[in-house]
Amino acid sequence: MKFKSHTQRVAMPFVVFMTLASAADADTILRRANDLSFGGSESLDPISATRFYEVNDLIYSRLIRQDETGRPAPELAQSWTANETATEWTLTLQPGVTFHDGSAFDAADVQFTLERVKDPALESPVTDVLGLIEAVDVIDPMTAKIRLSTPHAGLPLLLMDYRVRMLPEGAAAPFGVGTGPFMLDSYDPESTTILNANTAYWEGAPKLDRIEFTAIPDSEARNQAMLGGQIDYNGLTRDQEPLYTGNTDFTVQSYPAGGWFGIAFQSNQPPLDDPRIRKALRIAVDRAEMLALMSGEGNGIVSCDTPVMASDPFRANLDCPQDIAGAKALLAEAGYPDGIDIEVFTADLEPGMVQYAEVYQQQVAEAGIRVKLTVAPSDGYWDDIWLKKNAVTSWGQRPADQFLNEAYRSGAAWNESHFASAAFDTLLDQARSTLDLEKARSLYVQAQEILFNEGGTLIAYQENGRRVMSSRVTGIAPQDEDHIRWHLVGMTP
Amino acid sequence: MTARRPALPLPQVVRDVLAQRSGRIGMAIVFLHLAVAMAAPLIAPQDPTYQDASAMLQSPSLAHWFGTDRLGRDVFSRTLLGGREAMLIATAATIIAMAWGSAVGILVALIGGRTDAIVMRFIDAMMSIPWILLVMLFVAALGSSSAALVPVLGFSYGLSAVYLARAAALDFVARDFVVAAQIRGHARWAIAVTELLPNVRDSLAVQGAMQWSWILLAVSSLSFLGMGVAPPTPDWGQMIADARGIMQRAPWALICPMLALSSLVIGVNLAVDALARVTGVERTRRVLGA
Repeated sequence: MKFKSHTQRVAMPFVVFMTLASAADADTILRRANDLSFGGSESLDPISATRFYEVNDLIYSRLIRQDETGRPAPELAQSWTANETATEWTLTLQPGVTFHDGSAFDAADVQFTLERVKDPALESPVTDVLGLIEAVDVIDPMTAKIRLSTPHAGLPLLLMDYRVRMLPEGAAAPFGVGTGPFMLDSYDPESTTILNANTAYWEGAPKLDRIEFTAIPDSEARNQAMLGGQIDYNGLTRDQEPLYTGNTDFTVQSYPAGGWFGIAFQSNQPPLDDPRIRKALRIAVDRAEMLALMSGEGNGIVSCDTPVMASDPFRANLDCPQDIAGAKALLAEAGYPDGIDIEVFTADLEPGMVQYAEVYQQQVAEAGIRVKLTVAPSDGYWDDIWLKKNAVTSWGQRPADQFLNEAYRSGAAWNESHFASAAFDTLLDQARSTLDLEKARSLYVQAQEILFNEGGTLIAYQENGRRVMSSRVTGIAPQDEDHIRWHLVGMTP
Repeated sequence: MTARRPALPLPQVVRDVLAQRSGRIGMAIVFLHLAVAMAAPLIAPQDPTYQDASAMLQSPSLAHWFGTDRLGRDVFSRTLLGGREAMLIATAATIIAMAWGSAVGILVALIGGRTDAIVMRFIDAMMSIPWILLVMLFVAALGSSSAALVPVLGFSYGLSAVYLARAAALDFVARDFVVAAQIRGHARWAIAVTELLPNVRDSLAVQGAMQWSWILLAVSSLSFLGMGVAPPTPDWGQMIADARGIMQRAPWALICPMLALSSLVIGVNLAVDALARVTGVERTRRVLGA
């Protein structure tokens, strides 16, 4: 009798597990984690400052997305043209697209979505990107005309922003209805959010039946969940990567991305107001070595102080090997033949931020640049140190035009090195109003050359992104999340 | 007339401490650490700041006895040098803490009355603030250079010395030899120095030695939090902070500085235990929540 009850105790969970497992087998489910970075206020409004981006990527679509090379490619907009001055853009929309509630997608939805970006009550960060849209006219159901307050030849690039996703006309909180490959089934950012396949998706029914998100705020806990097989897809840090290497249950991918650490030197404060000194501080760095030390060889791309990511068509691909002699010569020319003392601040805000400064300190010592490294309290670093002192900084990827204007145009709010160059600003203005992409490219490249020669921000490399997946997951190439076509993602049995 | 308590001569104290097992072990550990710290620049096999992308996170080997860290630096060399700055700061800060703490403690015990009450309430108020918070406030205001850390820690840790010196001195202020000195018209500072200080010397010595290990831990904690010893100077606390994210991959980068720091603190504690027994002083085990 005792034996029997013991057997039952042992067997029951197994039976329950097997029942659940076989039920789960019937559906193809991809399990992911959300990091709860907004503490539960994750919003299904794609332009909210607290956007639930992991989910929004799946339930909404953009008008224009990037192709394999990062150039604008059709999504809900089939094609687009601009007038000669690049102040009016006409978009022809994809026919036959429906929202999850069955209503048809048309130009009125484009008008609603883009015009609400400017609503001051929403305080959307996307206003900085699309604030130049004056109005959107509905020409016919499948044609929308976007009128700009200033010419901008790169509007398609701005529409590629990961937050600019189409909502049905009149959409209001809690949102959740889009045209994407997955439909919201249940939404609880603090626990579980379930998305079901949108079988009517215009590019074809998704291969997965369902995607489930579980909230796991801690990076290491997500990593353990991945190792334990509780989730199938996760981001990865450099330090976690070796835990998966050689394990056939997992696929690890490293893919080009646009995030970077840098050091913003205050160009408006002597002696750094001398561009020769600023250049010396940057060319003394061995960028390839720094990338290898910080991220591992091949896990990123060297940058000659351009913030623009490798896949962006407007990136300047310059050559900038370490130049100790050149740095010494520039310092001597600027009146510092015996080297120079510089204070650099950093904080232990993100893994690697302190090490980045340590590597810099070590590398430039050879050029006579003596760096006093101060690790400031993490609390208040962005308020008290950043924008005020020479400081290690951290940025996520942005399109070239957005980046160059946001972080380097004279007087811009986030111009962290207080760089000011009329020639640079003029090039950006010209590029914005140039419709010829090649000509615009040349102008953006010239602007980035100015940054390399005179700028105040060291950007040694852009680091690759990393992800780990169950080896059962198919259809995800080593490219950043913006490129994943989720309806093509599947799971082998 | 009450006799003064005879203070043991220093060589006798050292002999008595070494006569005890905990004293021998403790002193051996402490002296080994001090010797390594002094000789480290000469005996470290590699430049502790040299970064090597081709040798990152290597496990212990003949080339790197304690392996390498995430920037390819030699953990053995960094461990050898990692205590120097913290020990220097701790030594200087302990001298400051014991000097002002003892002076104030003995004087207020002697003066008594309202002065004693006011000073001690101030000390109470300061001590009610957790030490790490107090030190972090100062560091945030003054910066985290070694030059700033010494006075900051010297002040913070002097608070507990005031308590101890006052308590030790109170045992003696009513004794005949102190009263006699007061009747002879000696100045207060002279009574404090000639009559009281020799009598509280043992207590202060034990307290001072403990303070040193607490301050060492405090410096390491601050370095761990990024507010102590600044790179490129290697430091145990900083090394532990750097290595915590790679614990599974490169445990040696974490364990070596941890062992170095904890063995030194344990060594000091063992030696102080023996010293306390020899001098008959009851040692303080916890002050300022340390």
